[in-house]
Amino acid sequence: MKALRLYLWLVLIQVRSQMQYRVGFLLETLSVALGSIISFVTLALVLQKFEGIAGWSLGEVAFLFALVELSFGLMDMIFSGFDPDYFAAHTRQGTLDQYLLRPVSLTLQIFGSQFILRRLGRIFQGTLILVYAVQLVNIEWTVGKILYLPLVIAGMVLFFGGLFMLGATITFWTVERIEAVNILTYGGTELMSYPMTIYQDWMRRFFTYIVPAIFLNYYPSLYFLDRPDPFNMPFVVRFIAPVVGLGVFLAAYVFWRFGVRYYQSTGS
Amino acid sequence: MFFGASEFDITKAQAHNDATKRLSQVVIRVHDLHKYFQVPIRQRGRFSALRSLLVRRHRLVKAVNGVSFQIGRGELVGYLGPNGAGKSTTIKMLTGLLVPTHGEISVNGRIPWKQREEHVKSLGAVFGFRSTLWWDLPVIESLELLRYIYDVPLARFKDNLREFRKILEMDAFINTPVRSLSLGQRVRADVCAALLHDPSLLFLDEPTIGLDVVAKERIRQFILHANRQRGTTVLLTTHDLSDVEKMCQRVMIIDRGKLLYDGQLESLRQRFGGKRELVVELVDEEDQISIEGAIVTSRQGAQVMFQFDRDQISASELIQRISSNYRIRDLSVREPDLEATIRRIYEQRLLEDAV
Amino acid sequence: MRVYWEIAKRALSRQLTYRTATLAGLATNFYFGLLRAAVMAALYGARAQVDGISLQAAITYTGLAQSLIAVISLLGWFEVMRSINKGEISSDLLRPIGYFKFWLAQDLGKAAAQLALRGIPLMLGYALFFDILLPQTLWHWLAVFLALGLAVLLSFSWRFLVNLVGFWVTDATSIGRVVYIFSWFLSGFLMPLRFFPDWFVRLCYLTPFPHTINTIVEIYLGVLTPGQMLRALLLQLAWFVGLTLACSWVLRRGIRHLVIQGG
Repeated sequence: MKALRLYLWLVLIQVRSQMQYRVGFLLETLSVALGSIISFVTLALVLQKFEGIAGWSLGEVAFLFALVELSFGLMDMIFSGFDPDYFAAHTRQGTLDQYLLRPVSLTLQIFGSQFILRRLGRIFQGTLILVYAVQLVNIEWTVGKILYLPLVIAGMVLFFGGLFMLGATITFWTVERIEAVNILTYGGTELMSYPMTIYQDWMRRFFTYIVPAIFLNYYPSLYFLDRPDPFNMPFVVRFIAPVVGLGVFLAAYVFWRFGVRYYQSTGS
Repeated sequence: MFFGASEFDITKAQAHNDATKRLSQVVIRVHDLHKYFQVPIRQRGRFSALRSLLVRRHRLVKAVNGVSFQIGRGELVGYLGPNGAGKSTTIKMLTGLLVPTHGEISVNGRIPWKQREEHVKSLGAVFGFRSTLWWDLPVIESLELLRYIYDVPLARFKDNLREFRKILEMDAFINTPVRSLSLGQRVRADVCAALLHDPSLLFLDEPTIGLDVVAKERIRQFILHANRQRGTTVLLTTHDLSDVEKMCQRVMIIDRGKLLYDGQLESLRQRFGGKRELVVELVDEEDQISIEGAIVTSRQGAQVMFQFDRDQISASELIQRISSNYRIRDLSVREPDLEATIRRIYEQRLLEDAV
Repeated sequence: MRVYWEIAKRALSRQLTYRTATLAGLATNFYFGLLRAAVMAALYGARAQVDGISLQAAITYTGLAQSLIAVISLLGWFEVMRSINKGEISSDLLRPIGYFKFWLAQDLGKAAAQLALRGIPLMLGYALFFDILLPQTLWHWLAVFLALGLAVLLSFSWRFLVNLVGFWVTDATSIGRVVYIFSWFLSGFLMPLRFFPDWFVRLCYLTPFPHTINTIVEIYLGVLTPGQMLRALLLQLAWFVGLTLACSWVLRRGIRHLVIQGG
């Protein structure tokens, strides 16, 4: 309980100090939203011209796209403190020490150390496109689908959050942030915006068995859109998104704890 | 060595006496502490980047190499050493930020890094050049947040804050965001924050670095206040020896990972201070000046500087000898300054075998 | 002139020292290239050609676009505005060299390093994965490199102009970010502009951006007639000259502003 209150307090501080630079905040929110809109408009124009991709209509691809955008935007805001770009500064400058000197969990403090509100731009944008996509494809909503949708989003937040945590932890060893992690995070959102059938087999296998991205957006979307599974996996894999997300997050968390212990044994 | 055997015995006995007194209430116990770092060696020559990617060669740096000491409740100890001597590494291990390679640490009966959250509840820390406060928050709000983090009862918090605000003269900037504070104000706020939860232990790493004389003095007064009135045990690293002279009775000197000295400041001065100086201004300019038991090191008109050894001759006896031969207008005795003393210790490694 | 050559050389060798960053950047570009190529193949499906671009050409395009972003610094550049905001500009202005040329020399050195370390290796890597197209004649090769050079110059002038906002706005990076988003969209970095509706392409060509990536791509793929090629190169040159003139005008006003307001 205390932890939750403290977290909210720390987040509130972040939000308040970001609101102090109002023009900058608005412009940055705008730029984030704009980037997301432009990617989508490009996609929409091209899909219209080519009449869909791999048998998926514009609306269906927009659904995939929006779900990832929305989830990644949420994650990017909540996990801002673990964003390797920001976190690398901690390991480089040794500012982690000040958190370790306080009698509160380090993980909680890192969560509370950054809360980038301008990511709202992306969340807002994702929601808008999701609404548009749902209009286009006429999803047959059932109770199951309505209940499952937030769980899928939560699963993706945990999945991408885990990747952020992984990227942050690696900086304990490398000091500099590793740009290659961006392949999984930012590259992951791009990958997950399209039906998985378009990728070569080795790539799809990688994102099934090594980094299980396929279960987070593609398979749940097959369920929402009532599409058949071209890869003939068991039906149940449409519903494991939250479990997979949680699993990735927990694995990353264990690695993070290990990294913190390593940091304490080597110092900066 | 240049000091007499009798005096050596006295300091030793005194140190022993202090030690037994302290042992009854030891709060920090460090035994045979080691901390080694693996530092990668930069390779040169062709394909050096590729080679260092494949095979990393390392050099073992022994930052702390077999240090033992004990600190009793209520002591105020200065921890000195040149850059890279191992001071910060020791402090980091004591605060639980670093895990030792080898050796034992117990602080308040706990092993710092094993019970980090419990451990840091009972300590305060100030790292001079780095603030632990929230950049965009007014000082008072940072302090209130810390009250929540450390579970300080409200009444206690209010009492402490009232007291600290007065001594540190914080009223003028208590509502100012930390980012707009001057360095002196920021350090004062940080020191205040470090003590609000009544820690039994206070670690200060270069608390006065970069401050002006007035701000330094205020910080020192506050540290002394905390130490004397509240019985807070203080361990302080500094480069500024006037910090040590004004606050500490006991000093520990570390260099290249080894403890060179641990004892009273006064006996350090006596043992390694070297020769004292007497500056005399004579009424008349003399051509030839010589006094038994002292040598003339410089002359400027009527002003003459003598150097003498306190074991050979006392200051009063020397003055007597001079005044019986020459007419004196003014005089002053100069203690060897601490900085030179400590420099001598580093340079000549005088204490390596003594500890 | 010699001093600028030295500055450019320094900038180049500095880039060469960031080896791990370069390698990581290369990997990222390559990954995104693979993704876009897969998307392209799926979009084409059974189609042989769309708007005069074959699937092979479209896949070559995805590689080109990824090779070019680092060379042309398309994702944004904020150094000058940061130097203005921090006040470092005052000491830069004390140097007996032109401020614009000083930064241009650095940018050219950086671009050369990016071409050698990221642009060319990426295309070579692409050639291993895909059956990519190459420019058809020697003239095309020459035109490609000429267009690339002009694109770097043009992109620099544009970015420099954006950076000069720093004279009047204290935290100009947020403005820069908004502006740069438009430039990568309109440059043809996300998709070949030919795929978009005509009215939209015409709109794009009212801005300098298509003259960076899209022009190079179209010359490389050989979809332009010799006359169109010449016209494209001349347009690049015209934009570069125009933007550079604009830079020098704004820079003069900015410095006057700085002198009067006192940084």
